Amino acid sequence: MEKRLIKKHELTGIIDKLASGLLVYAPVQDEDNVLFKPVQKGDTVLTTFANTKNAPKNLFFPRSELLMKYTRTDKGMELAAGAPEVSQAVIFGVRPCDARSFILLDMLFDQDKWKDPYYFDKRAKTTVIALNCVHPPYSSCFCTSVGGSPVSSEGADILLTDLGENYLTEFVTEKGRALLKHFGDVNADKTSEKTKDEIAKTSAAEIKVQIPAREIKPWLDANFEHPFWDTIHQKCIACGTCTYLCPTCHCFDITDEMKGGNGMRIRNWDSCMYWLFTKETSGHNPRSSQKERWRQRLMHKFRYYVDMFGAISCVGCGRCVIYCPVNLDIRKLVEDIAKQ
Amino acid sequence: MQNPYIPIPVRVEKIITEVDTKDIKTFRLAFVNKHDEENFKYLPGQFAELSIYGKGESPIGIASSPTQKGYIEFTVQKAGVVTTALHEMEEGTLMGVRGPLGNSWPLEYLEGKNIVVVGGGFAFTTLRSLINYMLHEDNRTHFGKLTCVYGARMPGLLIYKDELEAWSTRDDIELHVTVDKGDANWKGKEGFVPTICKEVAPSAENAVVMICGPPIMIRFTLPVFFDLGFSKENIITSLEMRMKCGIGKCGRCNVGHKYVCKDGPVFSLAELNHLTKEY
Repeated sequence: MEKRLIKKHELTGIIDKLASGLLVYAPVQDEDNVLFKPVQKGDTVLTTFANTKNAPKNLFFPRSELLMKYTRTDKGMELAAGAPEVSQAVIFGVRPCDARSFILLDMLFDQDKWKDPYYFDKRAKTTVIALNCVHPPYSSCFCTSVGGSPVSSEGADILLTDLGENYLTEFVTEKGRALLKHFGDVNADKTSEKTKDEIAKTSAAEIKVQIPAREIKPWLDANFEHPFWDTIHQKCIACGTCTYLCPTCHCFDITDEMKGGNGMRIRNWDSCMYWLFTKETSGHNPRSSQKERWRQRLMHKFRYYVDMFGAISCVGCGRCVIYCPVNLDIRKLVEDIAKQ
Repeated sequence: MQNPYIPIPVRVEKIITEVDTKDIKTFRLAFVNKHDEENFKYLPGQFAELSIYGKGESPIGIASSPTQKGYIEFTVQKAGVVTTALHEMEEGTLMGVRGPLGNSWPLEYLEGKNIVVVGGGFAFTTLRSLINYMLHEDNRTHFGKLTCVYGARMPGLLIYKDELEAWSTRDDIELHVTVDKGDANWKGKEGFVPTICKEVAPSAENAVVMICGPPIMIRFTLPVFFDLGFSKENIITSLEMRMKCGIGKCGRCNVGHKYVCKDGPVFSLAELNHLTKEY
C-alpha cells in the first residue's frame, strides 16, 4: 500500500486544490453544527472536529432523491428522464465509524439480483477520504462493540492519521491511489507507521463504553415475544431522529409529485418509527404500536442484519444516543437485553 | 446497469368488471415494446408493481398465467390512491409495470403431486394463474389430481365467473365453488370455505395445498388440512405486506429477516413457523 506523509498545514490546501477541479464534500461549520457540505471557494474546511451532526449516507442515499421524471403526452403519461447524471466526487473527513457504514449499506443496496443504481452510481464515482479518531470524539462512542474501531481503513479509499506534525496518508484502494499526486512526494517511514499502530491501541482503549451487541443475538433469536418488549418504548415520541441521523438506517418511501403535465417520482427517507410505515390500505398494521416498531429497530440492527449479511447494522457513532430528545439510549437497551 | 425502479411501459388493453359491486376489475395489460414482453418471464405466484405516473405504485399479484401470451393480467380491488386511479382508467391508456417480483408457487416441488387449491374472496388471483398454468396442455400431465375449493360471500362477488364455468365442465379439475349465502338464482354450494374443504376432504397422500384468502378464512381452514394429514411443508400460502420498492431495500415488508417482496410472497407453513409472527 502506498503511504505518504504530509505536513499538517498542507492538508487544507490539498482539499482546496481538489475542490477546484472536483465536487468535494467536507465538514464545515454551519451555525451550531458541523455538516458535510460541498466545498465552495472561501469555505473553511474543518480538519479538527468531533464528528458531523449528520451521517454522510446522505451523499450516496440523499434524504430526497429524484428517481425519474415523466410527462403527459397525447398517448398518456410517459417517462421523460431516468436517473440523473452523477459527477465524480470526493468526501473528505469521514470518521471511521461512518466510513464503515458505507460497507454495511453496500450489502443492502447490492443483494440477490437487485443492485440499486442510484446508490451505486454515486458510490462508484466518489472517493472517501477518512480521518482516523486519534481520540474518540465523544463519551458516547461505542464503535469497538459493534465490529468497528476508531482507527480503521474499512470503507476508506484514503485514510489520514494525525501524527502530531504530519498526517500519515494511506492509499487504501485503487480509487484512492488515483489522487496520489495531490499528496506530495514524501513517503511514510516505519516510525510513522509504528506511531499509527500505537494510536490505534490507545484510541481504542479510550473508548470506555462496551456493550454486548453481539452477545444478545441468541436472546433476540429466541424472544420475539417477551415481556421485555413492553418496557422499552413508552417514552419514545416517534420523532424518527434516531433513524434519520443513523449512518446505517436505509428505509425509504417512494412518492409521486405532479405539477401541470409534468411530474417526478422521488424517494425520501422513511422511518420504522412511524405508524404509517407499515400501515396497509385495508387499515391493518402489522406493527401497530411503538412497541412493535422499537422491537423492529432493535431486531433489524442486532438480529436480522446479522442473519442477512453477517454484520450488525450499527457502527457505534452514538448520534442516536446524543440527539434522542427523550434520552432513549440504544446502548442501555442492549445492556438490558443482556440482563434478561 | 438495469434500473429496477423504472417501470416497463404497458397499455391497458381490456378492463373486465368482475363483481356486482364493480370495485374489483381485471386489467389486461399489453407491452408497448416487443422486447419487454420477451424479457418479462414470470411464474404463477409472482407479483408486479403497477405504476401510474403521478399517483404511485401498488404491488399486485399476477393473475394471468405465463401460458397466456401477449399480455399480463391483474385483478385489483379499488381501495387506495393508485388502485382508484387504475379503476378510473380507460382501455388504451398507457401505464407502467415493474416486475416480475418475488418468488412463485413452488412449481418444481409441485410436479408429480396432487394439488389442492383453496381460495377465498378476491385473493384468488395468483391461484387462478396457477390453475390456468397447470391446466395448460403442455403442463397438465406434470401434476396429479387437481382439486379446487373457491368461495366468496355471495354469488355476485365471485371473480372469473366465465373461467369457473369452463373449468366446471372439464374432467381434469375437481372444482367446488361455494358462497357464504346464495341468492334466488344460486344453484351451487352454500357454506364457508373451511366447511366445504372438510366435506370435500382431499387426500393428503402425495398432496400439497395452496391457500389464499382473508385471514379469518385461513385461520379456520388450516386446522381442516392438519386433520386431513397435510404436513406444514405441504401447506403453502402467499403473504401481503405494504411495499414500496419491491426489491428488498426500502425496509418495510420484512417478516423477521425475510422480505415478503423478494423472499416471498409464497411461504410454506413450515417456513412461516420459523419466522416472527408479524404480518
